[in-house]
Amino acid sequence: MNTNKKRIAIMVGAGFVPGMNAVIKGAALAAGQLGWEVVGIRDGFEGLLHPKHYPEGGLLPLTPQLIENLDPSTGSVLGQSSRVDPFHVRQINADEMVEEVDQSDELLAKLKAEKIDALISVVGGQGLTILYKLHGKGLNAVCIPRAIEGDVAATLVSFGFNSALSFTIDMLDKARQAAQAARKIAVVEVLGAQAGWLALQAGIAAGADAVLIPEIPCDLQKVAARLKEKMTTRRSYGLVVVAEGAKLVDNAKAGTDKPSTLKASLSPLASGDNSSHVIQRSGHAAETVASRLQLLIAEETFPLVVGLWARGGNPTAVDRQLGLAYGAGAVQALNTGQNGVMVAFVPPAIKFVPLAEAINKVRTVPPDNEFLKTAQSLGICLGN
Amino acid sequence: MSNQSTTPSATTGIVLNIQRYCSHDGPGIRTNVFLKGCSLRCKWCGNPESIRVKPELSYDPKKCKGRECSLCLKDPFPKGAFYFTEGEEGPVKVNWDLTSGCDEALCSLCPTGALEMYGKTMTVDEVLAEVEKDASIYRSSGGGITLSGGECMLQPDFSAALLKGAHERGMNTAVETACNVPWANIEKVLPHVDTMLHDHKLTIPERHKKWTGVGNERILANFKKAYETFPNTEFIARTPLIPGVNADEEHIRAVLAFIRPHKNVIDYELLPYHRFGLGKYEYLGKVYELDDYKTPSDEVVKHLQAIIDEAFGRTGQRAPAAK
Ligand code: SF4
Repeated sequence: MNTNKKRIAIMVGAGFVPGMNAVIKGAALAAGQLGWEVVGIRDGFEGLLHPKHYPEGGLLPLTPQLIENLDPSTGSVLGQSSRVDPFHVRQINADEMVEEVDQSDELLAKLKAEKIDALISVVGGQGLTILYKLHGKGLNAVCIPRAIEGDVAATLVSFGFNSALSFTIDMLDKARQAAQAARKIAVVEVLGAQAGWLALQAGIAAGADAVLIPEIPCDLQKVAARLKEKMTTRRSYGLVVVAEGAKLVDNAKAGTDKPSTLKASLSPLASGDNSSHVIQRSGHAAETVASRLQLLIAEETFPLVVGLWARGGNPTAVDRQLGLAYGAGAVQALNTGQNGVMVAFVPPAIKFVPLAEAINKVRTVPPDNEFLKTAQSLGICLGN
Repeated sequence: MSNQSTTPSATTGIVLNIQRYCSHDGPGIRTNVFLKGCSLRCKWCGNPESIRVKPELSYDPKKCKGRECSLCLKDPFPKGAFYFTEGEEGPVKVNWDLTSGCDEALCSLCPTGALEMYGKTMTVDEVLAEVEKDASIYRSSGGGITLSGGECMLQPDFSAALLKGAHERGMNTAVETACNVPWANIEKVLPHVDTMLHDHKLTIPERHKKWTGVGNERILANFKKAYETFPNTEFIARTPLIPGVNADEEHIRAVLAFIRPHKNVIDYELLPYHRFGLGKYEYLGKVYELDDYKTPSDEVVKHLQAIIDEAFGRTGQRAPAAK
C-alpha cells in the first residue's frame, strides 16, 4: 500500500442525483483509513474560485465527525453549481458587463496553493470532458460518473439509477391507477434523453402496454394497434411509457422513414441523427405521443411527466451501497497511483477507465439486450 | 453612390452576419450588420451565436457526409472534438467542450461546409462595400444600415466608423442596442446614428439581473443621458415580450413613464417572443435556458399595445415611422 499521506479534494458537478452524500462519505471514510485529509469544494468549483462568497470558507473539511453523521438522504453536503466549467466562468466585469472567462489556470493554481494532491469529481457526461481537459493541463484527477439515466458508457451500474427507477415505477403504478379509474390511456414521460434504460426497466416492472425509447424509432400505428388489442370493456385503460428522447417514425413523411426526435438534449453527447433536433421543454414527448395516439385510436389519452421528480429524494439501499463503493473506489484509484481515470462498476469488479476512453460515448440499449427480450416476451409493444 | 467624399477605413471588427433586405429595424429597406459579442445574457436570447466576442465553431449536421468522410476525426482537428458513437450511422457528433482550437483554416478542411466559424474579422470598408450593394434601394425607400448584435456598442470604434462611412455615403443609420456599456462607448457611436432602437427588457433591477445577468441601473441612466445629449436622434424603445417575465401592464406602464417625457422617443414597440433561436442553439451545442416559455397570446399583445397607443395619443394606428 502507498503510505504517502495525501490531502485530496472532492467536488460534485451539476445535476442532482440521489446518493451524492453516500459517495462523499465513501471517499472520506476510505481516505480516512489511509490517514489522508479530505476537503470538499462547495458548489462545484465555486468554493475554490470564489471563496469570498463563503464566509464560512469555500472548502469544507470532511472531518470524521462530519462524515460519521452525514445524512445520506439529503442533497449533497457540498451543494451544487448549475454549471461547472472553469474554462467558461460567467462573471460581471468591472464595467458591469457579463462575460465568460477562462479560470482553469486559476483553478489549478488554487488547488496547488491549498496543497491538494488530487481531485475526486462526481460528474456527468459533460463534466467528464471538463475533467479530461483539466487533467490534460496537469490536474491529478479521478472521476466518478453521475448518470441517473444509466447512459455513461464505460460503467454498467451508476449510483442514483436504482433510486430513479424505483421512483419511476411508483409513479407509473399511480398513473396506471389513474388511467384505470378514468378509463383512459396514460402516456407517461420519464427521464432518458439519450438512453432508454429507465423507460424500459420501469415499463417492464409496472406492466406498461408500450414503451418508447430513443434507441428504437417508434411507429405509433403499431402502438395504437397493440392498445386496441389490449383494451376491452373489462380492461378499458392503457399505460404508455415514453422516454424523453423517444423517436417517432414519421408517417406523415412516409417513404423517407426517418425518425424525428421528440426531445434532444444538446449535451455534447447528443448532436443526433438526421439533424432533426428540436429542443423541447420537458413534457413535450408525452404531449406529442398522447395527442397523436388519440388520433389513431378511439380512446382518450392523457399525458403525465415524471421528469425531474425522479432526480430527487432518498437513495435506495442499492444506491447507498453503490455510492459508498464509488467513493471508496476513487480513493483506491488514487492509492494505486491511477490518474486521469473514471471509476467504473462492471459487476463484480470496480475498474478504472482512462478519461480519454470514457468521454464521447453513450451507453444505449443494444438490440440484443435481455430487457428488450423480456419486454417482447411480456407482450410490451416497443413500436417496432 | 460616389465614394469620393468618403474616408477610407481599415478599422476592423468582428462581424457575425450581414443581412440584406430587412424592414423591421429602422425606416425603409435596410441592411442589418450583426456584430459579435454581447454584455448581457438574456435567457430568451434568439441570437446565441452573437453572444461570445470571439469567433466560434458552428456545425450543421445536415451537411455532414458522416463516416465515409471522417476527416475531422483526424489531425489537425482537436482530439476528441468530433466522433461517432458505436453502431450509429449519420452525421458526426461534436463534443463542444473540445472545439475551442477550431478556426477558419481548420473549418475550410471540411469538404461539405458542415463546419464553419460564426464571426469573421472585417474592415469597415469591406462591410460598407457589401452594404452599398443596395444603395439604390435605400434611396428609394429611405432605408440604410442597421447595426445589430450582440451589442454593437461593444465595438464602439468599429461601429462609429461604419456609421460615419454610411452617413458619408448618404445612408440612413440605425443601431439596435441594450446600452449595457460604459457611456464613453455610446458617446462615440451616437453622433452617427439617426435612429436608436433600444431594449427596455425589465423594469425592476433585481428582476433585470435575474433574467439578463446584470441590473438595469446603468442601462436606464444611459438611456436618459442619450435622450438628453442627442436631441436630434430619434429613439424607439422596445420590449421583447415574454409571458411570465415582462408581458404585463406594470412593465409597459413603467417604460411609458420613463420615455414619455422625452419627445425624441418617438415610439415604443413590442416584440412578442418567438422561439426563433432554437436551431442556432443546436449549431453551437448550447442548451437553451428558457425552454419552458411560450409566445404571448394575441389578446395580451393587443391589450398592451392599446396601452402604448393611448400613451402616444393614437387610436389603433402606429406612430409615424422614424425618418
Ligand atoms: S469533415 Fe465535415 S463532412 Fe467530414 S465528417 Fe467532419 S463535419 Fe462531416
